[in-house]
Amino acid sequence: MLPVLQLGPLALPTYPLALILAGWVALSVAGRAAKRLGVDPDHIYNAGLYGFIAAVVGGRLAHVVVYWSAYRSQPLEIFGFNTTAFLLWPAILAGLIVAGLYVYRRRLPLLAMLDAFAPGLLVGLAIAAVGAFLAGRNPGAASSLPWAVEQWGLRRHPVQLYEAAGLLAVAALTWRLTGHAREGATFLCALAGWGLVTWFVEAFRAPELSQTILGGLRLMQVVGLLAALLALLGFRRMVSNVEAPQEPAAPDA
Amino acid sequence: MTRARWSILTVIVALVGIGWIFVNRLPTDAAPSSGALPPAPTVGHPAPDFTLTGLDGQTFTLSDLRGKPVVLNFWATWCPPCRAEMPELQAASERLAGEVAIIGVNQGENAQQVRGFIDPLGFTFPMPLDERMDVSRQYLVRNLPTTFFIDRDGIIRHTQIGPLTEATLAQRLQSVYP
Repeated sequence: MLPVLQLGPLALPTYPLALILAGWVALSVAGRAAKRLGVDPDHIYNAGLYGFIAAVVGGRLAHVVVYWSAYRSQPLEIFGFNTTAFLLWPAILAGLIVAGLYVYRRRLPLLAMLDAFAPGLLVGLAIAAVGAFLAGRNPGAASSLPWAVEQWGLRRHPVQLYEAAGLLAVAALTWRLTGHAREGATFLCALAGWGLVTWFVEAFRAPELSQTILGGLRLMQVVGLLAALLALLGFRRMVSNVEAPQEPAAPDA
Repeated sequence: MTRARWSILTVIVALVGIGWIFVNRLPTDAAPSSGALPPAPTVGHPAPDFTLTGLDGQTFTLSDLRGKPVVLNFWATWCPPCRAEMPELQAASERLAGEVAIIGVNQGENAQQVRGFIDPLGFTFPMPLDERMDVSRQYLVRNLPTTFFIDRDGIIRHTQIGPLTEATLAQRLQSVYP
């Protein structure tokens, strides 16, 4: 494990570094994918940048609203450089809304934009999983298999590496599809792949750390399967639209 | 592929998927507990136990606080962000007295140095001294301040690297003292 990267006098926590790297690589790959799709990469970078700014502002605003009693006596803290004073889900929602608005206002092709982001997001998630492995976050279940690794006092499944490998394989597949498949297919492929990888590897996560629902079902396995099924239904719908007979054109008056 | 084939594939994935999830379901009584994991300074594991000497010369043992949520803060007098968050920790220790234990483990300094800092400012919550930094190594503390939020069962529920404000302290406390 390498939870902290020691660079001389500097001790940098590995996982946040991996997240920064993941974001940068995801955006770079998305930019390259956009070129293959005939979309101006600047739109990808702009949507990513505006989405990021909106996420920061939205996450902080939500934090201020929820913990207003604490901010009331220290209003300058609202603008403080505190990297932990954010709420995650409001941040994600704000980022998605603003990125979506950018696509809408610029009249950009939504499906092509989603296709462009798909492989990059998968690569980013894979890098984050490697960071989690180095930091020992979300470790695997105990295992005696030859490739089990020592983490937090036990030999365990390197589940974060299973996840990273699966996501990279899906990313490679989606990269091959990019520019060669129908609009939206690359995104659906990425969604199905992410869902199936999550559904499969979560079974090897330390059970003590898995959130459960409905009498012991692992939450992330259920989410993964639902995502994969949603993507497959999307493919079915896409084929249906192609198979549907064209209506004859109305005769001119 | 035709629409029919996509439908068949979807059904197959759903059936296999539900089967795999069912095979890997967890016993409901064991799912949220982390008691089976070895002690480690990471979320979900029992907090490693330790015994140190406090400023009053009394020994301080973490496991003596079992049954009560603990905010375990590592700090030093030479660390500006640590000094900045001290008033928040003091206020929380007064507000939550008897309900949540706020502990400030001082890293690598002696009682005289610590008293020289805290006495004029009136900080009163327990500050065990980790002079040889054994506990800091045990908790893999490489950045100051670092704070562990430990629930009533002794399980680490959150780790914060960097200073706490009143708002972030309130937020993190929810993980152990909802």
